[in-house]
Amino acid sequence: MRLLLVEDDRLLAEGLASQLEKAGFSVDTARTVREATLLGQQEDYRVGILDLGLPDGNGLDVLRKWRTNKASFPVLILTARGDWQDKVSGLKAGADDYLAKPFQTEELIARLNAIVRRSEGRVQSSVKAGRFELDENRQYLKMEDGTEHSLTGTEFRLLRCLMSHPHHVFSKEQLMEQLYNLNENPSDNIIEAYIGRLRKLVGVNTITTRRGQGYLFDDTV
Amino acid sequence: MAAAWLVHGFLLERMSRDFVESRLKDEVAFLEHQIRQSGGEIDALLTENYFHDDFYHSFAIQSPTQSIVFPHTLAALLSPLFQSEQQGAIRVRGASASNAPSDLLAFRKSFLVNNTRLVVIVSEDMAALQASQAEFHAWTAIVSILLILLLVGVIWLGITLSMKPIVSLQASLKKLQDGEISRISVHAPEEFRPLVKQLNQLLDFLDRRLERSRDALANLSHSVKTPIAAVRQILDDTSRPLGDDLRREMGSRLGDIDKQLEAEMRRSRFAGPQVGKSAYPVKQARELLWLLGRLYPEKSFELSTQLVEERRWPIEEQDLSEIIGNLLDNAGKWSSTCVELSLSEANEHMIIVVGDDGPGVEQDTVGELGKRGLRLDEQTPGHGLGLAIVCDIVDRYSGQTNFSHSHLGGLKVDVSFLRPN
Repeated sequence: MRLLLVEDDRLLAEGLASQLEKAGFSVDTARTVREATLLGQQEDYRVGILDLGLPDGNGLDVLRKWRTNKASFPVLILTARGDWQDKVSGLKAGADDYLAKPFQTEELIARLNAIVRRSEGRVQSSVKAGRFELDENRQYLKMEDGTEHSLTGTEFRLLRCLMSHPHHVFSKEQLMEQLYNLNENPSDNIIEAYIGRLRKLVGVNTITTRRGQGYLFDDTV
Repeated sequence: MAAAWLVHGFLLERMSRDFVESRLKDEVAFLEHQIRQSGGEIDALLTENYFHDDFYHSFAIQSPTQSIVFPHTLAALLSPLFQSEQQGAIRVRGASASNAPSDLLAFRKSFLVNNTRLVVIVSEDMAALQASQAEFHAWTAIVSILLILLLVGVIWLGITLSMKPIVSLQASLKKLQDGEISRISVHAPEEFRPLVKQLNQLLDFLDRRLERSRDALANLSHSVKTPIAAVRQILDDTSRPLGDDLRREMGSRLGDIDKQLEAEMRRSRFAGPQVGKSAYPVKQARELLWLLGRLYPEKSFELSTQLVEERRWPIEEQDLSEIIGNLLDNAGKWSSTCVELSLSEANEHMIIVVGDDGPGVEQDTVGELGKRGLRLDEQTPGHGLGLAIVCDIVDRYSGQTNFSHSHLGGLKVDVSFLRPN
């Protein structure tokens, strides 16, 4: 399994590379932003490890370049800071997981295997309806003007359901199936609350209420 | 001031001139009336006592046959005016006749009585008038200057009185700077009390921060230097073989250093309650829910709130992230399918509730959750460091953390803060 390791600390990179090779990965090492960007785009890796603090730039920029160039292998980022904002921006840039330094090699390998497994059979897929595009892998709603909105699990599932069949009326019961077991007996109000929140994102007229029947997604608005 | 003075002088001059002119005109009309009544006989007029007693202006009357000037001293001044063609008011200035005023205002009118042309001139000495006018003008100036001085004095007094608290505040600040006092006294007037309070709070905050960072550094150096010394010792000793036990030992020492460093770094990263810092809870919650949804793709992270996206809470942004992030991360580790985050406000309280559908915590150990020093995750991984961090931050905001059973089945953590006034 080919792995790209981007880490500027020589000692750590060497140690890590030998441990990973032992675990069955074939490791290429890059030390700079330039090197990493090139390798990531030219070679076909199965998984990547990316350190955020590189000598000639930020690791997140490398990740963004990979993602815009359709290099979609799963990436685990290594960070020394580990505050929540850092994690959010790392995953927003396209990472799949993060690990704070220092870490145990066993944990790193377990996480790598997990993201590889998760990415298997994953294809770049998105649902488009009207002005909106729903990124299925990253649970993101992309607007016409390029802004992105993060969605929670249920919001994403409801929107995917509505957007996959525009102009089809979905009853509350059908939509209720998209909910996980939030409550033992979820009430209709919950669907209304979620629809209300989705309307804030996509606009009031985009999701129309059919009285007594349900809701539909109008992609012409 | 000078402009007002000049305008005042000009207006005064014009007013007195207009007044004198209108009087002279009236008197000319009166004389004309008298002359017409007497049928043009000027001599008849002069015999009447009236002119000598009541007519206090000088005047001149000319008929083709004779001319009269009263009083006679003005003859030299007024006679030339008989030849003038001008009707109405005439100013005569700079005449050098002896015993005669140098500035005269005359009113000349010519008319026909029984086909004889008569000219009547009435004049008044303006110099005398101007003298009193100047005196009046001067008095106005003196009174104005006095009034201005009085006004300036009153304003100065007012400013001095109202600035007095500022002066005392300034003195306090100076003393504070010199280290004579450590806090500003609160005997300030109403308007400055919030300022003084704010300043004192800031000073308290700085003191606490200094104390905290000193403690942290002391703790850190104590707990970090020793393991470093131990590891170094082992590495320096070339004769000692690096066996598995020794490696493990060194590893655990480095682990200790990391733990200490992490704990202290976190502690110093928390801002605590600060003026002028706030965060958007809904926005932040959404990002964190999304993040954890990505990290635990098989679990569902849900938000339930009535708050609008633009709502702000007076909690520092990173602190709020740390609270919500750790609660969610902890719940994510334990839940089987679903985690619910709820943000709400009630009775001036800001409330964060996180519930999961995991196995939960036994009733008798719930009370020990989040206590510093006690690491529950030594027995059960999960509810541990994260919750201790949350409790730490919540304490700093004088908030409350409660652990109970969630309706989802697992642990429920309630965090509530009182909104500062």
